[in-house]
Amino acid sequence: MQPHLKKAFTLLAIAIIGFIVVRSFIVPVSFGQYGWYRGDAIIDSMNFEIRHAGSATCGEENCHNSIYSIWIDSKHKTVNCETCHGPSEKHVNNVRIMPEPVNDTRDFCGMCHFKSAARPEEFPQIDPDTHGENLRCAYCHNPHKPWFV
Amino acid sequence: MVENLIWGYIYPNEAEIQWSILIVLYPYITGLVAGAFIASSLYHVFGKKEIRPVARFALLTALAFLLVATMPLLTHLGHPERGIEIMFTPHVTSAMSGFGYIYSFYLIIVVLEIWLSFREDIVNKALSSHGWKELLYSVLALFSFDISEKALHDDEKLAKRLAIIGIPSAAFLHGYVGFIFGGIKANPWWSTPLMPIIFLMSAIVSGIALLILLYIVSTVFRKQKIDHNCLQSLAHYLWIFLILDVVLELLEIVSMKYESLEEIDIINRLLSEKIATTFYGVQLTLGIFIPFVLLLLVGIIKNRETLKLIMISISSIFVVIGVFAMRWNVVIGGQEISKSLSGTMTYVPVFYSIEGVLPAIIILIIPFIILIVLTKILPPWKDMDKGVE
Repeated sequence: MQPHLKKAFTLLAIAIIGFIVVRSFIVPVSFGQYGWYRGDAIIDSMNFEIRHAGSATCGEENCHNSIYSIWIDSKHKTVNCETCHGPSEKHVNNVRIMPEPVNDTRDFCGMCHFKSAARPEEFPQIDPDTHGENLRCAYCHNPHKPWFV
Repeated sequence: MVENLIWGYIYPNEAEIQWSILIVLYPYITGLVAGAFIASSLYHVFGKKEIRPVARFALLTALAFLLVATMPLLTHLGHPERGIEIMFTPHVTSAMSGFGYIYSFYLIIVVLEIWLSFREDIVNKALSSHGWKELLYSVLALFSFDISEKALHDDEKLAKRLAIIGIPSAAFLHGYVGFIFGGIKANPWWSTPLMPIIFLMSAIVSGIALLILLYIVSTVFRKQKIDHNCLQSLAHYLWIFLILDVVLELLEIVSMKYESLEEIDIINRLLSEKIATTFYGVQLTLGIFIPFVLLLLVGIIKNRETLKLIMISISSIFVVIGVFAMRWNVVIGGQEISKSLSGTMTYVPVFYSIEGVLPAIIILIIPFIILIVLTKILPPWKDMDKGVE
């Protein structure tokens, strides 16, 4: 083979070997441990701080049982307490630590209830420009029991 | 607002069209690469001497477009630094992960092919220039300055072999792009085994048309005479591939209509309302029918070189636009019908946005800048200018 071709193919071989070496450094060691992802990602997820307590915890005896029993029968039973009231794990462990204040803006309710073509037609949706005179939704609607205006 | 763009019943996640004009650009640019390469291999592999003036220029064109082929995807997805991970951890069930390897393999072939066909010039320049130019060309020559007859003969032999491997890889590169769409079984407008071949044919057509245009423009800029023999030969090949292209495209529509499966209603609606102009008007009439007639006339008419030149130029411009419309009709058209088969959406392009028309224009301009730089470093015209002199 001509020397210049030898050089070219050596260069190509170096590039390919370089790729393999770089790959071996960059791909995490735990990749493929359980599947086509980084195995350590599971441990990372396990180590996340627990922030949500769950609606059932809110409804325990001596806590918010009365409002819980209203909510659990309402149309909003699929919207968990912490969706509006914020993450409450700390509050459950120590009642003195209050969760974040409720987000009761029109835009927050509108995330589900502003009119959108992508939603089923029978789902309650409003046009924010014509409905409610720009008042907070909770001014008329009871978020714990919708249609109990 | 969004409601006006929707007809019938669609699924909630379909209201917004996700694959924008950038995804239209991706198969378009990849197609131009494959087309330009196949045009150059008409000379390098099949020994069509009349193509010689553009053979090396076609390789540079292929490289210039190949270098930006991934850019629309990376812009669309964001986080371009993660793009390489598709090659670090490729999954066998992912059609997309194969692309990285096919693309890289093809890039190596094109670069080697260019290096071999320009090596004599590179060595001559390295030996005759001084300073940083000498260094640049010496590096490009890999500090081997052997241009004896035997060395050049070996180069030519290897270049021919590479071009033989290059043709199937170019076909793979673009056929794969068609496969990505053709393999989506949920979408009746895309799901057909013909898709890779249709993409490939239109790629060759667009590549040759672009090459014709670039050849004419560059010849005018260099104030040289156009080699009409070469031009008409390219036009001849354009015409042949145009026929193959239109046959396949129509075959797909005709078999869809003849079979009349459950999706035919929505396909009819797509063709008659959503993409009627871009399909019948731009893709078929402007992009195929008019060039077909013009190129047929070019083949029939004797002498009258200027008239033929104009006809070939117009055909090429129309073909390049028509193939873009074809990509548009596939990518956007396929997303404008709902998977429910009983509703349609409308894609409204935006201008100033990362997904908009502006980045698409910028991405489409970059390969031409790369091509200018490449032709400055490696002038592909040596043989031709000699011939004219």
